[in-house]
Order: sequence, then structure tokens, then C-alpha cells
Amino acid sequence: KMAAAGALRRAGWRLCRGRAVLRCQHSPPLRALQASAALRRVSDEHKKEPLTSPSQQQFDPHPDGHQPEQEPQGPRPSYTGQGGQESEDYESEEQLQHRILTAALEFVPEHGWTAEAIAEGAKTLGLSVAAAGMFHSDGSELILHFVSECNAKLSELLEQEQKRVQLGEAEKKPTDEFLRDAVEARLRMLIPYIEKWPQALSILLLPRNIPSSLSLLTSMIDDIWHYAGDQSTDFNWYTRRAVLTGIYNTTELVMLQDSSPDFEDTWRFLENRVADAMTMSNTASQVQSTGEAVVQGLMGAAVTVSNAETSRAVR
Amino acid sequence: MAAACRLWRRPGRALLAGPGAAPRALRGLAQGPELHFGFQTVTEEERREKIYQVFESVAKKYDVMNDSMTLGIHRIWKDILIHKMNPSPGTLLLDVAGGTGDIAFRFINYVRSVRERQLQRKLKHHQNLSWQEIFESYQKDKCNSLGDSQVVVCDINREMLKVGKQKAQHLGYSEGKSCVVPCLSWVLGNAEELPFDDDKFDVYTIAFGIRNVTRIDLALQEAYRVLKPGGRFLCLEFSHVSNPVLSRLYDLYSFQVIPVLGEVIAGDWKSYQYLVESIRRFPPQEELKEMIEDAGFFKVDYENLNFGIVAIHSGFKL
Repeated sequence: KMAAAGALRRAGWRLCRGRAVLRCQHSPPLRALQASAALRRVSDEHKKEPLTSPSQQQFDPHPDGHQPEQEPQGPRPSYTGQGGQESEDYESEEQLQHRILTAALEFVPEHGWTAEAIAEGAKTLGLSVAAAGMFHSDGSELILHFVSECNAKLSELLEQEQKRVQLGEAEKKPTDEFLRDAVEARLRMLIPYIEKWPQALSILLLPRNIPSSLSLLTSMIDDIWHYAGDQSTDFNWYTRRAVLTGIYNTTELVMLQDSSPDFEDTWRFLENRVADAMTMSNTASQVQSTGEAVVQGLMGAAVTVSNAETSRAVR
Repeated sequence: MAAACRLWRRPGRALLAGPGAAPRALRGLAQGPELHFGFQTVTEEERREKIYQVFESVAKKYDVMNDSMTLGIHRIWKDILIHKMNPSPGTLLLDVAGGTGDIAFRFINYVRSVRERQLQRKLKHHQNLSWQEIFESYQKDKCNSLGDSQVVVCDINREMLKVGKQKAQHLGYSEGKSCVVPCLSWVLGNAEELPFDDDKFDVYTIAFGIRNVTRIDLALQEAYRVLKPGGRFLCLEFSHVSNPVLSRLYDLYSFQVIPVLGEVIAGDWKSYQYLVESIRRFPPQEELKEMIEDAGFFKVDYENLNFGIVAIHSGFKL
């Protein structure tokens, strides 16, 4: 499903945009500030309103293959149980589980990514603490839920930005700046949970969870590239994905150990990595043409030498 | 309907009785006045009476017999049940047919250790507190070693409860010492008609007891009633072995060895014959799952232990 979705997306944007690229010459520094101010607000909202079940509806109807969540959503939910216990009869079990996990996020800073946090979340919804028994005792589902929620929020943000660009309200950013802002936005969502995030990462790396966590990661990276548009880089699709995944993962790890105010060091690291990636692409193309020249030179030299040999032999 | 049901009764006894015909008789829904007691046919009142007598006579040797029959493995099954429950401090447990208190004691131990770990973590966080404050927090938490958890052990049989209470005292689980609220209570009650109010408990367990309930559907409905929304139903019970080789060995062991052990250790062949027969009569895993779903539980699932000799069914009141 993921591969097909990715292929469709690639085909789609190649057809629509073609190879001609509109490159934004400069982005005023004010715009960069505005973008990150908006992003910060979103992550604040995430902190303030853990019960985001109504707003979930906006995130969900997203284009192709948005993160195969570990809980099958089933038919697109057209209603959400809003009014307490009775409504549980009308929403599906998966929807209730979603609500519990969302409510549980509030307790993660205190209890970590554990069944205890889920139990506390269930309590706030008026359910018994035993409801946490519906989930695995190591908290995997909670973490995966959080990751897919963050990815959904990121897609939403990028979508809105794209709309603004299309309406002419904003200028299109150059690739490196776009990538930087997207990754920063996504990583800022971790800030409220940053202390317990190492624990979450280790759980995501359990063999049992690797398929889900990997697919969530790759679909997020794909999303970012999709919205970044088809800029003239000489990367092919796989390299692009691998490069951005590398940038994201390394920046995430740096962020875990960063103690600078507002994670300045992390953003600077990110900027450098993205810049490296950009130069690497230029160098790669240079290397390629240089390589070709070198090979041609060698071939020419070989031919000359062999001709000389034969002519000497003949003489 | 009743006539049709009566056709399914199997009078007399057959050693390797197939469980196929029996389950329909056990649906508990449109039963005539005739029920099974092991492989005998009896009326409802007679059945209750007989089962009461069985447990009255085995009560004192119940634990010893459990150990010898299952070679001590029943302890592991009960441990697995509690681990599956994974109770957090503050959980209210109702253990039905919990006579001698095995589940209740394990629950208390588990919650105590979870609570200890919680407190340790809290202290680690507060390592910058002064000695005075740390000491005060010890005092505060000493009365709360279980974190407000409580267990109510409910059984229909007075003798079993008596044995349980004695065990509790012997092992030091009595109320009053380190708890502000009594954390362990013993109540006389019938699983088909619990003496508790609605929406009271977090977890309802019935370990090796539901087999002896005359109207299983009523017991399940009662379980649904007394559980809080979000509460969990857990049932540990002997079930059906699907593997044919194992099944033969199991039957051999059950019908040849266990009643003999019963006679030798407890001096009561008949009760243990009943026990083994009642296991064969009990619905298989899938059917019990359907019955639990009928009572209104969601996310009903079962886990086979030892290839189906024992199964844990779990459901949530959502």
C-alpha cells in the first residue's frame, strides 16, 4: 500500500509540475520567523489540548497512504463519541482506544510511556484504570499513536503552507529552507515529551514495533518531500528519502542531548546538515561530470598508447 | 424448546465423552429443569446443592489437591493471570469463587511491588529534597502501601471462605496493619446474584469457578453489572485441548489418576470424579467467548495455556 501510494504521488507531481522549477530567489528573514512562530503555536496547542479528538477529524482525511496506523481506523469515522459514557456504544472500539491514548499523552511527562500513563488517561475519560489492559503493557501503542498524530499535524501544516503559496499569500521557500522548517516543526512537537523520548525511541526499536515505526517514519519523510516539490536536485527518489531520513534521525538524537535555550544548537546542527546535503548534491553532479571527463581522458590515453604500441610493433 | 433441549442430555456416564453434544446443554439459556452434574443429570437445585457439598468436603484439602493434581502448575497459571491483569495501584478487584484466596494474595503482592517501584521512582525524582521531607513522605506512604487497592473475595461456600481467611491470617495479609482501609474483604455471595452495587469494580476475576456456576449466563451478566465502565472481566478455567495426542494423554491422566489422588489425599473419590467430568462438560474456548460477548463485553479474547488445558478469557465493559 505504501509503495503504491508513494509511486502514485511521485507520478502525480511529476506530471503536474514537470521539471521546470520556480525557484524562489530569496526568502525574507521575517517570513522564516513567522513560519516558526506559527509552528510553535501548534505545538503549544498540542500541549494545551490533549483531548484533540474533534480536531483529529480534520487531520485524518489526508491524501494517500497517510501513515498506516497500527489500529485500523476502519471506515472513516463520521462521528466521534463526545458526550461521555453512553456515546461509547456508538463509537467503535478503535475510536475509544484513540481517545484513551490521546488523553494518556497528558500523563506521559510524569509516568513515561507506560501502561500507567494509559491508565491515568482512561481515568480522565471516566473509565476504569483496568481499561489500560486493552493495550500492550510496554506502552508501544501509546508511542505509535503519538508519532502518527505528530505526522498528521505536520501534514496539515505543510498543506496549509502550500495553500498559502498557491493563493499567493506566501512565497515559495527554497528547498533547503523548506526542509529545515519542516524538520524543525516536526521535532518541536517532541519538546513537551523530550525527557521521556529516549525511552520511546528504544521501544520503537523493538523488533515487534519496527514495521510500524519504520512505515510511520518513511511516510512522514515522503510527505515532506511531496510538499517540498520537485526542485532541481540530481537526487533520485531513494537517495532523497535516505538523505532526509538521515538528517531527521541525527537531528533527533542531537535534540535529545541538547541543553541550549530553545534547542538553538539543534537547529544550527539541522541547518548545517541540510546545507551539507545540498552541496553534496552539487558535488555529486560535479563529480559525475568530472568522472566522465576523467574516464574519457583515460580511454583516450589508452587508445593512444595502444596505437603507439601497434605502430611501434609494426615499425 | 425445553423438549428439544432434553434430547441433548446424556444420561449415565461415558469415559471419553465427546464435548460436542454437551456444550449445547450448557448454554444456560433455554434449559429445562434438568442439568448436568458431571455426567449425571440433575435439577438446578440439586446441582447447586451437590456442588456446595463437593466444595464443603474438599475445602480443607483444596490447596493440597490443586498442587498434586496439577503438579504445582496451577500456581503458574494464576501468576500468569495476574500478570495479564497488570493491575495498577488503586485497582478494585472482585474475585468471585475465590474461596481460598489464591488470586487475592497474588494481586496484593503484585500491587505492593508496583507501588514500591512507583515510590522509588518518585524519590529518585525528588532527590533534592531535605532529609526531613523524605522522612515525611515515608510516613505518608506507609499507610498507603497498596495505593488504595482493594480486593473483595466472594464465594458461595462458607467453608472455602473460612479456609481462605485462615490462610490470610497465617500469611499475614490481614487488614488493619498497614492499610488505612481494609484491603482484603471476604464476602459470602452467589455469582449468579452478587450482593454488590452497579459499577463498582475495576476488575472481576473468576478462577476455576465458572465451571461450577449453574447459570453461566447469569454470572456473566452479573459480572457486567458490577464492573465500572472500562472494567475488565477475566476468567481462568480449564478448557479444551485440540491437539489429539495431548488430548488422549490428558484424558488418561484426568480419569485414571486424578480420582485416585482424590481418594488417597483427600479421601474423596466422588468429588474429584465430579471435577474431571465437569471440565469435560464445560464449553470450549470459542463458545465461552461468544457467551461473554453476549453478556455485553467488548474486545473479548482468550489465551490458551498449556495447549488448551487452561484458557484465560478477557473482556472489557465498554
